[in-house]
Amino acid sequence: MSEPGEQAIGQRELARDADWRHLDARMLLVHPVNELVRFLPLIVGVFLLGSSSEGDPWHYLGVAIPIALGLWRFASTSFRITGSQIELRRGLLGRSVLTAPLDRVRTVELTASPIHRVLGLAKVEIGTGSGTRNGDNRLVLDSLGAAEGRRLRADLLHSAPPSAAAAPATAAVPVAPAEAGVIMRLDPAWLRYAPLTTSGLVIALAALGGSSQFLGDLIDRAANASSVDEQVGALPLAVSVPAGVVVFLAVTSVLAIAGYVLTNWGFTLSRDASGRSFHVRRGLLTTRETSIDVDRLRGLEVHEPLGLRLAGGGRLTAVVTGLGRRSEGSTALVPPAPRAVVIGVGEQVLGEPRPGAPGPLAVGLVSHGPAARRRRYLRALVPTSLLPVALAALWLAAGWPWWPVVVALLAPPAGLWLAHDRYAGLGHALTGRYLVVRSGSFRGRRDALQRSGIIGWNIQQTWFQRRAGLVTLSATTAAGKQVYHVFDVPEQTAIALADAAVPGLVGQFLE
Amino acid sequence: MTESPTLREPAGRVSSRAPVVWAAAAVARGLFLGAGLFVASVVAEWFTMPLWGWVAYAAAAVAYAVVMPIYRYRVHRWESTETAVYTQRGWLSRERRIAPMSRVQTVDLEQGVVSRLLGLAHVTVTTASAAGPVRIEGLDRSVAERLVEDLTRRTDAEPGDAT
Repeated sequence: MSEPGEQAIGQRELARDADWRHLDARMLLVHPVNELVRFLPLIVGVFLLGSSSEGDPWHYLGVAIPIALGLWRFASTSFRITGSQIELRRGLLGRSVLTAPLDRVRTVELTASPIHRVLGLAKVEIGTGSGTRNGDNRLVLDSLGAAEGRRLRADLLHSAPPSAAAAPATAAVPVAPAEAGVIMRLDPAWLRYAPLTTSGLVIALAALGGSSQFLGDLIDRAANASSVDEQVGALPLAVSVPAGVVVFLAVTSVLAIAGYVLTNWGFTLSRDASGRSFHVRRGLLTTRETSIDVDRLRGLEVHEPLGLRLAGGGRLTAVVTGLGRRSEGSTALVPPAPRAVVIGVGEQVLGEPRPGAPGPLAVGLVSHGPAARRRRYLRALVPTSLLPVALAALWLAAGWPWWPVVVALLAPPAGLWLAHDRYAGLGHALTGRYLVVRSGSFRGRRDALQRSGIIGWNIQQTWFQRRAGLVTLSATTAAGKQVYHVFDVPEQTAIALADAAVPGLVGQFLE
Repeated sequence: MTESPTLREPAGRVSSRAPVVWAAAAVARGLFLGAGLFVASVVAEWFTMPLWGWVAYAAAAVAYAVVMPIYRYRVHRWESTETAVYTQRGWLSRERRIAPMSRVQTVDLEQGVVSRLLGLAHVTVTTASAAGPVRIEGLDRSVAERLVEDLTRRTDAEPGDAT
């Protein structure tokens, strides 16, 4: 709100909101259903217990209480926007009033589950944040009408309402310059990257964890009922192990693709007309619209985990002030996609004005030198070489089988490759507005952090690093991961880098 | 600034009584661990600890309680200028932290029980980053109070919300 005219409009717009408002009346349909679901175990219990005895008005109480709670929750929640603050009043018995200054609003997120979508509602989550590590300080308005939610979002971000581009889910043009505002749309062909992420594995493990009891029973029963167990047992190891691996890979791939489709379908990244914020819209069943204020954007992270990297892909997330690690999900700017798309979109978002030259995400990096390389090899080779030695000792002394030793002999070559890859991934650079750092192998990443967003330096040195003349230089910031590391960089280089990135800070302590 | 500038150490040392606090903490840790060993070997009889084991443990604990504070006292340093706070801490591993005055959000002064007996205080300066707190341990109480006053005055003079 810099120009007086804009401010006047903003005030008039917000003045309308000065009275306490309730959530959308359609939530009367949603809240009781939610409460019913929450009380489901109890209700089932009541009905099961009830059926064994006689009496019954109690049954209906079991349903009536959740519904009443839902109504009460609706009635007791209200919010208002005064000139400079948003206040949320809620509470069933206790009363809480949450207040946040409007100029601290970092992001606004509209989420709509299928039931919300049917009713034309959207949940509004307002991210205001402080530097707390784990504080969940979001204001949640569950829910407003979709249109009202968008209007509120526009008010909160002090910007014009976005051109409501109802994204056709099958749009397939990456980096489409044709449509004003839209920076990127999901190409369904990118689904091929889904199995290369670990998301399938995570889902599979979660499912296994949740249902292992049930699955175990099922497998037991099936094995007892038939001769599957014997047949599997009869298969030679050389067949059953690869077969198991193939089945496992197939299952995790399918899960990963399903997860990708559910969260990222129709993924659209756009910039609003005034250029003051970025909007991300995505989701197949539950749609999610995130808006990020440009003034809060401190940089970008390109994630290139090993699988994605080998297939030439990556994903992009935003570094936003006030949003910690826990809200990482709401800062995705590009889902797993080809590297060219990730870099192209990233450069467009960063918008560093250097025509012709590569931007922060493509610029060549300074590597960290022979000492850092030695340290990579040492750290990878020492443990991987000790492993077969230890196993051999156990084989000779404690009567362990010999084959673990043979398998462990694969570890040192793997360590060699890892060290090579980790050193190749190590680098840093300084551009006009950004500090760029890259590191990692399995979880390779490249971060571009605004130099003006750096609010301090930490310089760590372990005993081994001191002997090698290396330091780990960490730039602290109020956004994203809170700290971005330049690993194992020669001490002099680190000091020079810190001095150049934030002029006038380190310089006074140099000699 | 020379061809290859090096970062000098911060100018000020912490109080010469600070090593006493570190030594006390080391002794307390040593006794606690020793008690754990005693319970595990003598009371619960999970394993037997030979006499030389006890002697070695006691020697290691005493050496740690003597060497660590001396070494640490040589490392721990701090400095506060008009525009920044600069600290160095650790002993085997070391960490230097620099926070610009314009990004300081809170200044904290605290005292533990042992520190109070010795008239010491710790000053913690936080920025908007969760990874950025700058902590100076074991200052004379009067020095710490003066530092806090200085920092508060300087950060007051800086505009903006420091993110």
